Amino acid sequence: MLMRCRLTRFTMALMLCGLAAASSASELRFCLRIDPKTFNPLLVEDEASQTVRYLTGGVLIRLNRYTQELEGELATKWKVSENGRRIDFDLRPGVRFSDGTPFTCDDVVYTMRELMDPNLHSPTGDVFRSAPGPVESRCTGSSATGSAGVTVRFPGPVAALAAQFDQVAILSAHSAAKESAVLGPFALGEYKPGAYVLLRRNPNYWKRDANGHPLPYLDAIRLEIQQNRELELLRFRRGELDIVNKLDPEMYDRLSSEMPHAVVDAGPSLDWEIVFFNQVANAPLPEYKRRWFRSDDFRRAISEGIRRDDLVRIVYRGHARAAVGPVSTANRFWLNSALQPPSGSQTAALALLEHAGFRRSGSTLVDRDGNRVEFSMITNAGNKLHERTLALIQQDLARFGIQLNVVTLDFPSLVERISRTFNYEAVLMAITNVDLDPSAQMNIWVSSAANHQWNPNQKTPATPWEAEIDKLMAEQGGSQDRDKRKIYFDRVQQIAADKVPMLFLVNPNALSAVSPNVKNVTPAVLAPQIYWNVEHLQVGNALVSQARNALVNQR
Amino acid sequence: MLSLLLRQARRILLTVLLGGLLGATLVRLGPGFGVDERELDNRLSADSQQAIRMERAKENNIALFYVRYLGGFLHGDFGFSRSLNRPVAELLKERLPLTLESLGYGVFGGASMGLVLALLTVWWRAPGSDLVPALLSGLCLAAPAAIIALVLLWIGVASRWAIALVVFPHVYRYAKNQLIATSQSPHVVAAEAKGLSSWRVLWAHVFTPAAPQLAALAGISVSLAFGASIPIEVICDTPGVGQLAWRAAMDRDLPMLVTITVLVALMTLVVNSLADLALAAWKNNTVPPAAGSAPA
Repeated sequence: MLMRCRLTRFTMALMLCGLAAASSASELRFCLRIDPKTFNPLLVEDEASQTVRYLTGGVLIRLNRYTQELEGELATKWKVSENGRRIDFDLRPGVRFSDGTPFTCDDVVYTMRELMDPNLHSPTGDVFRSAPGPVESRCTGSSATGSAGVTVRFPGPVAALAAQFDQVAILSAHSAAKESAVLGPFALGEYKPGAYVLLRRNPNYWKRDANGHPLPYLDAIRLEIQQNRELELLRFRRGELDIVNKLDPEMYDRLSSEMPHAVVDAGPSLDWEIVFFNQVANAPLPEYKRRWFRSDDFRRAISEGIRRDDLVRIVYRGHARAAVGPVSTANRFWLNSALQPPSGSQTAALALLEHAGFRRSGSTLVDRDGNRVEFSMITNAGNKLHERTLALIQQDLARFGIQLNVVTLDFPSLVERISRTFNYEAVLMAITNVDLDPSAQMNIWVSSAANHQWNPNQKTPATPWEAEIDKLMAEQGGSQDRDKRKIYFDRVQQIAADKVPMLFLVNPNALSAVSPNVKNVTPAVLAPQIYWNVEHLQVGNALVSQARNALVNQR
Repeated sequence: MLSLLLRQARRILLTVLLGGLLGATLVRLGPGFGVDERELDNRLSADSQQAIRMERAKENNIALFYVRYLGGFLHGDFGFSRSLNRPVAELLKERLPLTLESLGYGVFGGASMGLVLALLTVWWRAPGSDLVPALLSGLCLAAPAAIIALVLLWIGVASRWAIALVVFPHVYRYAKNQLIATSQSPHVVAAEAKGLSSWRVLWAHVFTPAAPQLAALAGISVSLAFGASIPIEVICDTPGVGQLAWRAAMDRDLPMLVTITVLVALMTLVVNSLADLALAAWKNNTVPPAAGSAPA
């Protein structure tokens, strides 16, 4: 009986093997907008490089994009102590890099040393730089018991310390292949600049599924470099691509009418669409305009006057949520649920304007000195959503007699104006958030930071409420008690709602398209929305490949 | 001939050097120069942001930049592309063959189409005989290169043919006018009166004498084709130098833009000079020696 069973299994395996050999390898295909700037995971800045890092890099801790909880990967356990200055990891045994080099604690020590090199200027490393001083990493555990561990100690408390390791891909200290030796599900196979990046299955990947099959199921991922969104959609329709990871609402609706089962709306993302006014002391603005922009009532009135529901309905075709503040509704834990989005009420806005000394003079609004209320708002050219948003805001403000002039600029010119010359009045822009934790917003809220956009690099806080925000952000950053931090950040959100330094308009939904050929997709609102569980994804003949891989592994 | 060659070489060198400097100056004076999108990255520390600004400030002094650039250029180092994080020489090496191939197909295809249609128009001479080519060339002339690329993309035709359609109307119109003017010359009327076949007249007495003037189109065709390749490669996502030029312009990537300016200037001038040299050689071979000159 046992003999017959073995024979059947062997025959089936042979058949599957033959089938697999006859058919092409299972390959997932989707697009990158541009070439990755680097394949060194420590130097990643751009979205394309982040994608490659996500697919190839092995990390100690991974944030589950669906449950929004941290999960151990190369670390089986971890413990944060000394008020966020120290973290201890227990490392997973028996793991190998893609080139066969064993994974040891030396690799973690080496990665942290390279990452924290002050000359590297790595965004991934900079989030750990909470205080001046060296970062100490050392191996712990014993070779006798077979347990290996690492302790990393930072000079100052690092907020959400464990979560920051989601971005740290471990490098090999000993492999001759350097960055090409990886611990993630895929390894770099081939790169043709301007055309594609081919990632091949990492034969030494440590994860297995619930049935003990080795992961990932896919043999390869082909990342086509495709800047043209229309072309990307066309190729998706033709079946040449399996995923479109980000769709704009118009494309989503177009595709949804043709392929209703292919589109995915995962709900509001973490991203913001915001407006802010120039409050920089030495900005080249007339004094009376500076007074308007510094008036809390004026900013609140403008915020009240913008009908966010119209933006959601007309500009985003229903695929967005009116924003309540700096935390999206997708961020379940950190959202201050007591806040409500501004009403869009004309009466409330007019009352605030009158309180600030503005009055109607015929069809226009004037300030207490008789200056007509007219200002310009800049945004990046070529962004249809922004252009439509501004057209609606223009209409909304015209109800109060405010003349809004729309100016579109290419992105470098816009960055120059908001960060160097401060030659602007108001700006509409999108902010992409990848982090759930409020510490990622530190450089936006702290008044001395360069990205405190409405009035950056302040020597001392210009207003009492900015001073309070500084204090609250420092307190939440220095605490490891999540609930306490939530209280501090709830207050920051409340101040942001009362003082309106930035007008949060909408949180656009995470829209994607997935071919019916792709199995095991669980869309999430956090990036990468569709392929966050890439090792479990299957395409077409992935089951055959899986059987083949199992057979190869058994041999 | 040698002095002509030297003159042409000197002209090319000076124009290229000046073109590069002017290109660099224009980029330097453009809005948004010297800023880096990374400055908006919330994760970066103040030190890292300062380091990025310092790095960008190195390109602020355009004279110094250009002198350094030329120093490197002589050693085959065209600088480092910030937008793609790689040496410019490496990027050009990867992308230039594809663009040259597209330009080759485009220029050859467009020129052939233009010349053949012009010849047919002149040969046929019936009223309305040039209606279809004139309409086609008018359409191609009026449509921006990006629109032509989109249409071809939609019907699944390779992007290089979009370049051909950009070059074609220019060649067709110039060649037709040139051939018509030549066909009205007295020697053509005399040849026709002698009873030579219309094809022989067209080839030997119209096309051949007009050939040097038509060769002068080569230079303009190359620069036209390269200009068109920028939007075409962007629309069709072709990984060539045109796409690189677009990206560099969007990112104010100074070394990349200067190198592409130098490259295009060089390409256009070399093709123009070759046409000039061919014209000079043709004149030397066909024009009889002036009266009284002694044979060599």
